[in-house]
Amino acid sequence: MKTILQLIRKDYKLFWSDRRAVTMTFIIPIALIIIWGAVFGNLNKGGTATKLHIAFLNNSTSPIGKKIERVLDSSKTFVLIKSYKDENGKRIPFDTSSIQNYVRKGSVSAALVIPADALSDTAFGLKLKFYYDPKNDLEMQMIDGMLQKTIMTEIPDIFMQGMKNQAVKFLGLDSGKAFNNEIAKTVGKYFKIDPKWITNPPVDSVMSMAGGSDSAKNSFFQNILQLDKVQLVGQDIANPWATRSVGGWAMMFLLFTLTATSSALFEEKKSGVVLRLLASPISRVQILWSKYLYNMSLGFIQLLILFTAGCLLYQIDIFSNFINLVLIIIAAATACTAFGMLLSSISRTAGQANGYGMFLILAMSSIGGAWFPTSFMPDFIQTISKFTIVYWSMDGILQVLWRNASIFDILPHIGILIGIAVLITSISIWQFKKGHVF
Amino acid sequence: MIKISNITKQYPTVTALDNISLTINKQEFFGLLGPNGAGKTTLMNLLVGYLNPDQGEIHIAGEKVTQDCLHTRKNIGLVPQSLALYDDLSAQDNLDIFGSFYHIEKTFLKERIKEKLESVQLYERRKDKVKTFSGGMKRRLNLIASMLHDPPILLCDEPTVGIDPQSRNAIFDYLLMLNEKGKTIVYTTHYMEEAERLCKRIAIIDFGKIIAEGTIDELIEKLPYDETILITKNQITTAKIDILKQFGSVIDENDHYQLKPNAGFQLSQFFESLEKHTISYKFVELHKPTLESYFLHLTGRRLRD
Ligand SMILES: Nc1ncnc2c1ncn2[C@@H]1O[C@H](COP(=O)(O)OP(=O)(O)OP(=O)(O)O)[C@@H](O)[C@H]1O
Ligand SMILES: [Mg+2]
Repeated sequence: MKTILQLIRKDYKLFWSDRRAVTMTFIIPIALIIIWGAVFGNLNKGGTATKLHIAFLNNSTSPIGKKIERVLDSSKTFVLIKSYKDENGKRIPFDTSSIQNYVRKGSVSAALVIPADALSDTAFGLKLKFYYDPKNDLEMQMIDGMLQKTIMTEIPDIFMQGMKNQAVKFLGLDSGKAFNNEIAKTVGKYFKIDPKWITNPPVDSVMSMAGGSDSAKNSFFQNILQLDKVQLVGQDIANPWATRSVGGWAMMFLLFTLTATSSALFEEKKSGVVLRLLASPISRVQILWSKYLYNMSLGFIQLLILFTAGCLLYQIDIFSNFINLVLIIIAAATACTAFGMLLSSISRTAGQANGYGMFLILAMSSIGGAWFPTSFMPDFIQTISKFTIVYWSMDGILQVLWRNASIFDILPHIGILIGIAVLITSISIWQFKKGHVF
Repeated sequence: MIKISNITKQYPTVTALDNISLTINKQEFFGLLGPNGAGKTTLMNLLVGYLNPDQGEIHIAGEKVTQDCLHTRKNIGLVPQSLALYDDLSAQDNLDIFGSFYHIEKTFLKERIKEKLESVQLYERRKDKVKTFSGGMKRRLNLIASMLHDPPILLCDEPTVGIDPQSRNAIFDYLLMLNEKGKTIVYTTHYMEEAERLCKRIAIIDFGKIIAEGTIDELIEKLPYDETILITKNQITTAKIDILKQFGSVIDENDHYQLKPNAGFQLSQFFESLEKHTISYKFVELHKPTLESYFLHLTGRRLRD
């Protein structure tokens, strides 16, 4: 055991002496997470620079209107612009027409207006006007989604109350279709949508949207349904997209790091250091163990540091479920170490190992959901993705960070990852015994 | 001390060692001389237990060497043929690491590292990264890195490859000193000058077989002629070369004539003849037979091309 510890100490010493390895392991992933965050500004809900700007006008005097304004004002997501500068540089508050002009000029992508009659229309209704610039489709969808999310999570009672009222009215009638119809109507009433944007999708499709159709027109409803999901999970996640991206980058770099460190064995072999080590009272088994433990611990440290960076940069909440996060990280690091060692065991040179590694890592990362959610992918890819380490690691990490999963929820993930590790480690040990490397 | 019995080691395409038996005595400076690919390194790797033989056994100090037996390795220091060092670490760090596997007490190890560094004139450079070292310095470090546990047996696999004469001499002197102090040294090389200078006893290995074994004098004894005489090629000697043919066979080589004396050759008669025909002694060089010529004699090839 002491020998193994000495070997691990040696590997860490080598790691620190290799500036490129340190950079590749920590600096570059963090840099990429920052760049990624800057590109997709909504990752950073905390920083003022990346808040979503929308023009805002409240013509209503109702308490609900006031509440919406207050909620949006204090939200971390939005900056409300309530006035514009005229030619003389004087600030002038928006009115109904100037706010539309403001959007037309392209100064912002969207404007939200709470009309004076926001509440007067029906018994339960709330009317909001949403103006947008179709050129910025993507941004508009984001604003749309965030707006709903913010309003719905902060003032859920508006929606729920209305829903209940209407549902009771119609549940007596046995037609499910009528009920669906009414949902659509209700939704339509709550958010009077600019007809340019939504040409009233057929009622049937309102339901099918839950299945993941993602045409721009449908996004309004889809977002409401997604929102519903978030509500079911019963948790308000600080930064879902950031969590996913940080997790994805971290997993990918974990694989790169462990492939590189595993293939360091070839360097040691080539220089004759392996011969020197084995000529000392050290066995091959001890060297292999030390490599596994070193890689696992390094992988663990890397993931921990990247998540800590995510926590500092994007307020990813890693602490409320820390123990489970650590467990899933250990399982992920174990599986990735096994992967790296397998590559080394079947390769003949470091170049070969890194070559195979590059291909497999990129394939696994994209299929396994490190870059975007697997739910975006065709069914057969989703099936394949379940065979990747990245899938189970990502899913486990997101379970822990998004859904506040308990140890029992992630036990299958940990089990599968460790299972994968055991399986491919057996293969690699068998390969090592055949002796390409030693 | 080291007993090698009927060792055979095969690689997929070649038989690297073919039924080799050797005994190396305590405190001996033993040379293993052979051309490239003869199997020297393979034999060294078997001696430390890095490889397992296909047949035969090796015993060191009475203990059988195997891949799994770590104990015999404490008695051995292997100086690998390649520079088995971490280039990105300092000399000191390298030695710290390689020393740490022998479970030597810390302060003691530190002391020993200092002493070894001083003995090969590297102490001043101990903090520098190995990659900044010259070839000779790396070789010296490669040597002492194998000796931190003060092993009674030192296996040196071509420890002077590719270095300047000065570093080479430093290593020679150092090894001779160690041998003097009682270390058993096995030294592989394909430079016969090295074997002649260092080793009391040598074995010549070729294509995985031992083709000769003994002290240098014993081996040279076996040569069918004692001396070779080289005669510089120039106008005078070319004109008079026929006169010298009475003393033996003359081979016309590029820049000189080589005279291989007949049986019953006498130096005094030869010099008398030179004087008589006014051939200057300056053009004549007596050549002692060497291991090189012995190898040539045995195999019809030179050690190195
Ligand atoms: N790992 C290996 N796989 C296959 N063949 C090998 C291997 N190692 C050595 N050989 C072969 O075994 C033979 C002996 O090699 P070895 O390295 O022992 O020679 P050597 O005497 O040390 O040569 P050199 O003076 O060049 O170091 C050579 O023909 C070599 O090609
Ligand atoms: Mg060799």
